[in-house]
Amino acid sequence: MSLLSDVLVILLNGLQQGAIYVLLAVGLSIILGTLKFVNFAHGALYLVGTYAGLFVALNVPLSNGKLAEWGFSSFGLDIGFFAALLFVPLFVFGVGLLMERYLARAFYDRPDTDQILVTFGLAIVVQELFRVLFGSNSLPFEQPERILSVGSFAGIPVSGPIALPIVGNFPQWRLWVIGITAVLVALVYLLVEYTDFGLVVRAGTRDAEMVRLLGIKITRPYIVVFGIGAALAGVAGVVGGPLNVVNPTIGTNILVPAFLTVVIGGVGSIAGAVVGGIVFGLTTAALVAFAPAWSQVGLYAIAAIVLLARPQGLLGDEEVVP
Amino acid sequence: MSEKDANPSAKDALVGGSLFGRWEKLRGREGTVVGITAVLVAVFPYLFARAPVVSGILQGYQSLATLILIWGIFAIGFDLLLGYTGLLSFGHAAFWGGAAYAAGIVAKNVSGDPIVMVVSGTLFAVLLAWVLGFLSLRRGGIYFSILTLAFAQMFYYMAASPLAFLTNGENGLTGVDVGSFLGVIHLEADVPSVGGMLLGTWLYAFVGVFFVGAVAVAYRILNSPYGMVFRAIRENEQRAEFVGLNVWRYKLMAFIISGAFAGVAGSLFTIHGAYVPLQSLFWTESGDIVVMTVLGGAGSMFGPVLGVGLYLYIENIVSTIQALTIPFTDIVLIRDFGFYWHLLLGLVFVVVVWVVPDGLWGILTRLRELAVDLGSEAAKRLRSRSGNGGDGR
Repeated sequence: MSLLSDVLVILLNGLQQGAIYVLLAVGLSIILGTLKFVNFAHGALYLVGTYAGLFVALNVPLSNGKLAEWGFSSFGLDIGFFAALLFVPLFVFGVGLLMERYLARAFYDRPDTDQILVTFGLAIVVQELFRVLFGSNSLPFEQPERILSVGSFAGIPVSGPIALPIVGNFPQWRLWVIGITAVLVALVYLLVEYTDFGLVVRAGTRDAEMVRLLGIKITRPYIVVFGIGAALAGVAGVVGGPLNVVNPTIGTNILVPAFLTVVIGGVGSIAGAVVGGIVFGLTTAALVAFAPAWSQVGLYAIAAIVLLARPQGLLGDEEVVP
Repeated sequence: MSEKDANPSAKDALVGGSLFGRWEKLRGREGTVVGITAVLVAVFPYLFARAPVVSGILQGYQSLATLILIWGIFAIGFDLLLGYTGLLSFGHAAFWGGAAYAAGIVAKNVSGDPIVMVVSGTLFAVLLAWVLGFLSLRRGGIYFSILTLAFAQMFYYMAASPLAFLTNGENGLTGVDVGSFLGVIHLEADVPSVGGMLLGTWLYAFVGVFFVGAVAVAYRILNSPYGMVFRAIRENEQRAEFVGLNVWRYKLMAFIISGAFAGVAGSLFTIHGAYVPLQSLFWTESGDIVVMTVLGGAGSMFGPVLGVGLYLYIENIVSTIQALTIPFTDIVLIRDFGFYWHLLLGLVFVVVVWVVPDGLWGILTRLRELAVDLGSEAAKRLRSRSGNGGDGR
């Protein structure tokens, strides 16, 4: 009985951990698969999402950084978590559009190396900008107690433990993270697989030149794909923020696992990103429970094994791999 | 204007031209490059830390000069891979930090002789580069960057906790006892007489020898047929393959050679600091070497070293300045410069990648070419004018 509940707790924790990776990896993967653009600044979008979520949901006192020096003693609108979940993706979507239009587009025809370098530079700039504004110490991002702090949904609690069968008490917020991720990824999947928009995107992945010759303006789907990828990173920032520390280095720290998720799942495959994220999440959760010292190493070891056995990734398409 | 005046000046231009021409011929020779490097290495700490006026303006110090050379070795090796072979590794912290740890552990457990430390650190880095290169090069392009990054991070986390009994975990490897060179010379001691004025400590001399050696080796490799193959792979991998070259083997060798340079540098870093921070394995260290190399100018021999010098100089000296002013005036450009310098560096980096992918060295090269063109044109004009004078007579 107790062993079973332990296993279930590990499964749930792993799914929750994996959910954050999945959100980031799906975004990275569709950008990489469709636009052939390597975005090392994807972690920076996560960072923007986290801080924006903090700003909308709560009101946090500031103690160091330039904002505090300039006389802002606290930071935030304090209008609840649901509002953050609604506004932040829209905001980061906009950031993504700007990034595609003014940065990525100039680099589509340049070598991969240049794309990596310029987005890496951008990641440094964003990280340092946040360090300057908010200081390098961690900000408290409390788990939301209720979906909304005002309005008719105000009564629905999302934090605190919930009693599950067999498992016993489990932090309710973690379940919400899993649920939100599942819904969003399903939406993106439906969008790409079953709409006209998705058809153009998939066609562009195969042969952008041909799509253009058929008279379809491919730049618009491209910019939207970039925006969606960015928005997913923003959501990851909002839902993941309360589960981790919030400081300017979180973006660059999460980038490596996110990229590995894409690579072991198979580039361009949404299902691959989901599988990769879940594998990583479960591995990490299991190692945290049984061999905490190895918890971080395990992720990389798994990645190495997968890539040796299947260089194109678990669900990757052999031909698409360059 | 009399002809008497015109003729000597034309002659001067001719003599100057031939001198210049002779220099242009010598310039590319290995002996010249290594010799000039050795001279510069010898006078650098004096100018940087001790010379009157110059060092007063620069505010440099001996230990930073040593550090710049160490990172310079690292950057030259990194550039062999990025600038000449066209492979962007984000995992060189594994070789730098790995060698630093290996050297430190050897010093603690076996022998603190600096030569033993460098040899063991480098050997470790080479072995590691062999394995990681073998694994990472299975996939090209961006996957190579991501894989090197991933493997390097794996070593960081290994050193952080499962291997903490060896590496001392988060605290870094402390208490490294660096012995004396050949059992006679203490590296911290000053070099006697004129050498001391120029070089400062024996440690600097020790590092300097490795730096000059690194330049010589890199120059020899790059100007050999072997190095030509590296460049061919950078230009067009497929074509190199079609010509019949074993691209995979050359890429692996480039990776290992580059890892060896990082290993030498990492071991010297341990000798320099007598301490290995865990940070030395973290991927920001790989990011730093990427930034330094690209800023200075990937694909050139000395560009990366220039990048290293600038980066470390700004990080250690300029960043301590409270308000950055326009030199020799009181006009304040930026207050709290130390707070912003990393942000500004990031912005400069983005601009460099965007606009001048060949970095500062590329700009300097273009300026030099411009000056040479202008110079030769002026000489030609001078000659033709004197020729006209002759016709008139």
